[in-house]
Amino acid sequence: MNLYHRPGAQWLAYLVFYVVLAAVPFVVSDNFLLNQLSTYGVFAMLALSISLCWGFGGILNLGQGIPFGLGAYGMAMTMQMQSQDASNPMPPFMLNNSLDRLPLFWVPFWNTGVGITLALVVPTLFCAIFGWLMFRARVSGPFFAIMTLAMLSAWGTLILDIQPYTNGVNGITPPAPLKLGEIVVDPYSPAAYWTVLALLVLATVVAKLMTLSRFGLVVQSVRNDAERVRFLGYNVAGYETAIYTISGFFAAVAGCCWVMLTQYVSPAQFDTTFSLSMVIWAGIGGRMSLMGAILGAFLIQGAQSYLGDAFLNTWLLILGGFFILVVRFLPKGLIGLVESALGRLSSSTGGKTDGNGVSSIRSRLLQQPGE
Amino acid sequence: MSFLEIRNLCKSFDTVSVINDFSIELVEQTLCCLVGPNGAGKTTTMDLVTGRQKPTSGQIIFCDDDITGLDEHEIARRGIGRKFQVPAVFRDLTVRQNLEVAYSRSTHPLKNLFRFRAPGFADKLDEVLSVTGLGGRLNIEAGILSHGETQWLEIGMVLMQNPRLLLLDEPVAGMTESEIDKTAEIFNNLKRTNSLVVVEHDMAFVRQIADVVTVMHMGSLLAQGPISEIEANERVREVYLGETGEA
Repeated sequence: MNLYHRPGAQWLAYLVFYVVLAAVPFVVSDNFLLNQLSTYGVFAMLALSISLCWGFGGILNLGQGIPFGLGAYGMAMTMQMQSQDASNPMPPFMLNNSLDRLPLFWVPFWNTGVGITLALVVPTLFCAIFGWLMFRARVSGPFFAIMTLAMLSAWGTLILDIQPYTNGVNGITPPAPLKLGEIVVDPYSPAAYWTVLALLVLATVVAKLMTLSRFGLVVQSVRNDAERVRFLGYNVAGYETAIYTISGFFAAVAGCCWVMLTQYVSPAQFDTTFSLSMVIWAGIGGRMSLMGAILGAFLIQGAQSYLGDAFLNTWLLILGGFFILVVRFLPKGLIGLVESALGRLSSSTGGKTDGNGVSSIRSRLLQQPGE
Repeated sequence: MSFLEIRNLCKSFDTVSVINDFSIELVEQTLCCLVGPNGAGKTTTMDLVTGRQKPTSGQIIFCDDDITGLDEHEIARRGIGRKFQVPAVFRDLTVRQNLEVAYSRSTHPLKNLFRFRAPGFADKLDEVLSVTGLGGRLNIEAGILSHGETQWLEIGMVLMQNPRLLLLDEPVAGMTESEIDKTAEIFNNLKRTNSLVVVEHDMAFVRQIADVVTVMHMGSLLAQGPISEIEANERVREVYLGETGEA
């Protein structure tokens, strides 16, 4: 059977990929480059979250900027409050907007632990409620995509509009790096890079296990034929809400990491172009494969950083054109090329098929029975 | 004791009445064939029993519980399995994965998050494979099965569910004669432990399997009884058998 489909080979590919990434700081001494690579890791986590939701669940989500942005704002507020103290409790932009005391919803962010928890819980809760309302009413396909897009614009406008509380279009720029207890996380250090990478590895492992579990199987069935799944006794809305919410949680983690690296957040995080880019990363890399989506993010963002400067505005045209080509000719994305190459390899070496009926954790996670 | 009871069921779309005061009772361990000309309301009746559509009025009682208006998944969990007229399988998944999904003993999304095997699955799989004979096709994608095999797979999926009542919509459409005989054998075995309602046009097949035949016409009950009685019934011949030239 095709090596590409063997979970054992897949785990090995992840291992090699992440070991190589973990070794990067030993080779790269340029701290700005390292910081840039770290942000690619954040984008990879976003692409991973899109792959879960769209690739495995079949739920096209054009508003992943919502949980990302909310997580980012939560983190920015937390970091901002680390620079305030009792004698000077208000961030400067609030004084400029003539507020006379710290708004109530900013108060919990005094505490770093509470702040980061809120940065993760609020977007996750939002996804759970919004998802449940939509999926319960059986909103799906393009209609759901349009709803997410509308919701994204609504959040962007809201945050832009309440300038005294969010600094509007200027966004929040925490003056100092994140402090966790006594440790200062320098965004340009290998430590920050490894932190992001560790979270990305963790997210990948959790996501991969989920896709191999019974949950993942049901979610993929929903993508195939939601109607049929209902008649097997599964509450489809529950599964859709769960995968959408988990995907949103990953995006919120990415949002927190991103602010940790850039010390900046603005309503631009709610731009439709940004949310669409996430879909493009996953689409070009291969949305049906977690690895494909991750590689897509690295590839496209890497290319954008170097080619984007050379081509300026034409870059978007090139990217759009490339996306159309991939959708038309490679529906499984670039990783689909690997799949067909390995498929040709295994058929030429005479892969054998297995036909026994024993399933075990080991066989599910490590290898197919009979191989 | 009645097992499934449909009381005065009505369903209308706008002003068009599709099911019109339809009532039947089904006892346990019987196979009931639901027949009738096109548009008689057979599939709609199945939709109403399985919750895909909500009745305009009337009641559906299953094992002494009123299941009228429940959601599809709630009805399925109570033990009603369904096979569709157009075979509905998960085309991107392998045959084995299709059967795994259908083995729906635990249905809670969060409890299934990191669950990799279902207790008792292997035994049930062997049992279903011995019935449906898909053993050699376990690891291929369901999308590339032949039409007959797809029918078998969907029957297998319904069996994996272990339902007390099976509703099967034209299960032998597109099957060869020997496959039809095999299906008849399976159904005759199944009715020792389960109850079945089969919508079918093939009268030869109906004769092979039916304990009771229910004839629907224009959304109402036309006749009910053993096959010999039904075939002798003047009105049935008029509206149904006469039209198709069968009998």
